[in-house]
Amino acid sequence: MFGALLYLRLMSLRNLVVHRVRRLRQPKYLIGTAVAVAYFYFILLHRNGPMGPTSAMAARAGAGAGAVAAALTCGGLCLVALIRIAFAWIAPAEKPGLRFTEPEIAFLFPAPVSRKSLIHFRLLSAQFAILFTSVLIAVVFNRTGYLGGNRATHAIGWWVILSTFDLHLNGTKLTLSRLRETSAHFVLWRMAAVAAIVAYGYAVFRSAIGMVNAYLAGAGASQAAPDALVRQLLDSPAFHWLTLPFGIVLAPYFAPGIGDFAVALVPALLVLALHYYWVCNTQAHFEEGSIALAEKRAAAKEAALRGEAPKLGGSKRKPISGPFPLAPHGPPEIAFLWKNLLSMRSSLFSRRALFILCMLVVWAAAALGPMLTRHAKSSGSDPFSPMILAFSIMVAAYTVLLGPQIARQDLRGDLANADILKTYPVEGWRIALGELLAPTFILTLILWLTIVAAAAAVDPLGKIGWLTPGVRLTGALCLAIAAPLLCLIQLIVPNTAMVLFPAWYQASRSRGGGIEMLGQRMIFGVVQLLFALLVVVPAAGAAALVIFSSQWFAGVAPAVVMATAVVVGIMASEAVVGVWWLGERFRNFDLSVDGK
Amino acid sequence: MIEVQSLAKHYGTFTAVRDLSLSVRPGEVLGLVGPNGAGKTTTLRCLAGIIPMTSGRVRIAGHDLASDPVEAKRQLAFFADEPRLFEYLTVRQHLAFVARIYGVADHEALAKPLLEELELAEKADELPGELSRGMKQKLVIACGLLHSPEVMFFDEPLTGLDPLGIRRMKDSIVRRAQAGAAIVLSSHLLHLLEEVCTHVLILKKGEKVADGTLAEVSSQFSNGETGVSLEEIFIRATGGSES
Repeated sequence: MFGALLYLRLMSLRNLVVHRVRRLRQPKYLIGTAVAVAYFYFILLHRNGPMGPTSAMAARAGAGAGAVAAALTCGGLCLVALIRIAFAWIAPAEKPGLRFTEPEIAFLFPAPVSRKSLIHFRLLSAQFAILFTSVLIAVVFNRTGYLGGNRATHAIGWWVILSTFDLHLNGTKLTLSRLRETSAHFVLWRMAAVAAIVAYGYAVFRSAIGMVNAYLAGAGASQAAPDALVRQLLDSPAFHWLTLPFGIVLAPYFAPGIGDFAVALVPALLVLALHYYWVCNTQAHFEEGSIALAEKRAAAKEAALRGEAPKLGGSKRKPISGPFPLAPHGPPEIAFLWKNLLSMRSSLFSRRALFILCMLVVWAAAALGPMLTRHAKSSGSDPFSPMILAFSIMVAAYTVLLGPQIARQDLRGDLANADILKTYPVEGWRIALGELLAPTFILTLILWLTIVAAAAAVDPLGKIGWLTPGVRLTGALCLAIAAPLLCLIQLIVPNTAMVLFPAWYQASRSRGGGIEMLGQRMIFGVVQLLFALLVVVPAAGAAALVIFSSQWFAGVAPAVVMATAVVVGIMASEAVVGVWWLGERFRNFDLSVDGK
Repeated sequence: MIEVQSLAKHYGTFTAVRDLSLSVRPGEVLGLVGPNGAGKTTTLRCLAGIIPMTSGRVRIAGHDLASDPVEAKRQLAFFADEPRLFEYLTVRQHLAFVARIYGVADHEALAKPLLEELELAEKADELPGELSRGMKQKLVIACGLLHSPEVMFFDEPLTGLDPLGIRRMKDSIVRRAQAGAAIVLSSHLLHLLEEVCTHVLILKKGEKVADGTLAEVSSQFSNGETGVSLEEIFIRATGGSES
């Protein structure tokens, strides 16, 4: 039976690889792969050569920093593991289950396969991912070579850590399931487990703190080297025994040489074997929990494909009222805006967040400037204004460049409903425009806030002669007028990319897309940046020309207004062409074909 | 009402539909049948304006679908095999949205009896995630019927419905046809054709193999035999294999 399961896993893997390789015949996948491979080679691997400057420097600093780095890494890993284990006991699933996919459940659960074989299949499936991850981490993060060892020992070390952790979590799930089935005191058991974990964590913490205090209070603390402290801490019997379970598992990864590695590997493998025994011999039902887990994961995957943000927690959605009353007559674009504003449910772009943003814009416009001026005049110095200005510019830049990738309440969110949208008696450009309105609105609000904040923070003491209140207000208003157009144009880029390359888009929304997806995302990012430059540079150039040539006879404020008119004209033309073209592409878009 | 002349749809070198002509008048229900991959769904999607045809001409209620797509689409409703709904709109909000898109002025007055007829009135403020598949299908139908379309396309309308849902769907199709709508539906279920369709069109490899009333198509493939079942007719017409 195990042979059949191994066959399934190996054939699936082989077919996946073959499929991915065959897919490279399509230029889009080939280009994506080439970009990702080049990235890995030049950015990660090439820089991690054995004689690279980072390694050499690290090697020189190794004697002192190595122990500290090792201890900190070790401490961090243990803390994360402990929190995850505690979480498994604090908030277990209603029916704890093992991770299977829906097809695996459909084929394997009704099949004449023993429970143990199913667990083995689950463990085997995890092993493929663990092996890949271990090798990847060892290769990519070899710059931490000052910890000792080499890539092979690091890879095996990671394999031991991840495998033990995976087995531990599975064992915990099965134990929880068993306790739920057999014990009347399930809650008490859980509370006891959590209390034990907390007590253990507290004991380790107290031990470490006590040792540090003793060390600092002792002689020679003034020349205290961090590595000496760490060594003393690790060598203390209390700390050693307290952290022994973690120490055994982590030891192969942190072993400085081959000999140490071999010595450390034996107890680590023994712990791994004990975990394996625990998982295989815990008699508990996991089927129902596994089905629920698979359904949940499948739903999450589908939601991701639809362009929705991952939902935290398992709470059900609740209906919410529309953002404004939708009249039965009027431009259909407004209906799309209404619909997409209704779809705003993620915490980042919730409607409540939008309301707060609106209030912040109003507050910044009304109160921020006078507040900064008052503070600057009373204290004589003004440290806040430059900070606010720099922060505003940074947020504005992020909003323009990254905002369109995050605010997806547009065609990307409606990809699954593309067929339905196309049956509507509405021109393509109007669907495109309507779909783009909601994210444009969101990003514009953020930009307005940054513009208002920046306008208030620039020169609050009025040292720049030509920056009169009139010029300041005019400049801010002009930027505010141009902001929606800039956002709209920036949003056209990812939406057009989705319509032109839906397979890329769909794949990039799903997990496990392969190396080519990384390359595709990088290409998208670069295209977004180039497009921003392409849009902004001509408009900014024209604006500069207008201001330079007209301010001498018209004054600064009128020159800014004239320049804004030119900028708005250029960007409006770009937006009109972009929206029209996107609409036409959407009209001819066939997901059943293009999405393959 | 629906006039199709020499419709063709190519995907690169692959021909999904070839030289298809048909006509459906008010009150008629045309059943589109054929083996898997025969081009039924592609045909329906072309007729509904979801995907552009490669060549040919389609007129919906007198409006050319290529040159006047907006007016043509105003007269039609397309019902996909899977209910596609906006997850974050309630039943009532779906109807409000569709009403705005189609410009249905008195949609609230229209929606009320529609929701009651489809037994959705109690679910009006619920999200699609809370509805059963049958309920979702009903909501799709309610949205499709809100603007009183003259032309309707159903792609595998009985998929996933329980026996009661199937009965109601059949009744609904017949009732709309009796009210004067021109309907095209695709289905693998031959009993649906017998019970609902006035005409049948058999597709194979994207080409029309036969069309006419059920009696006409039966006589064409019965070879003079009597009592030949529709299933046998279908197998003879399509050669008994997939495309």
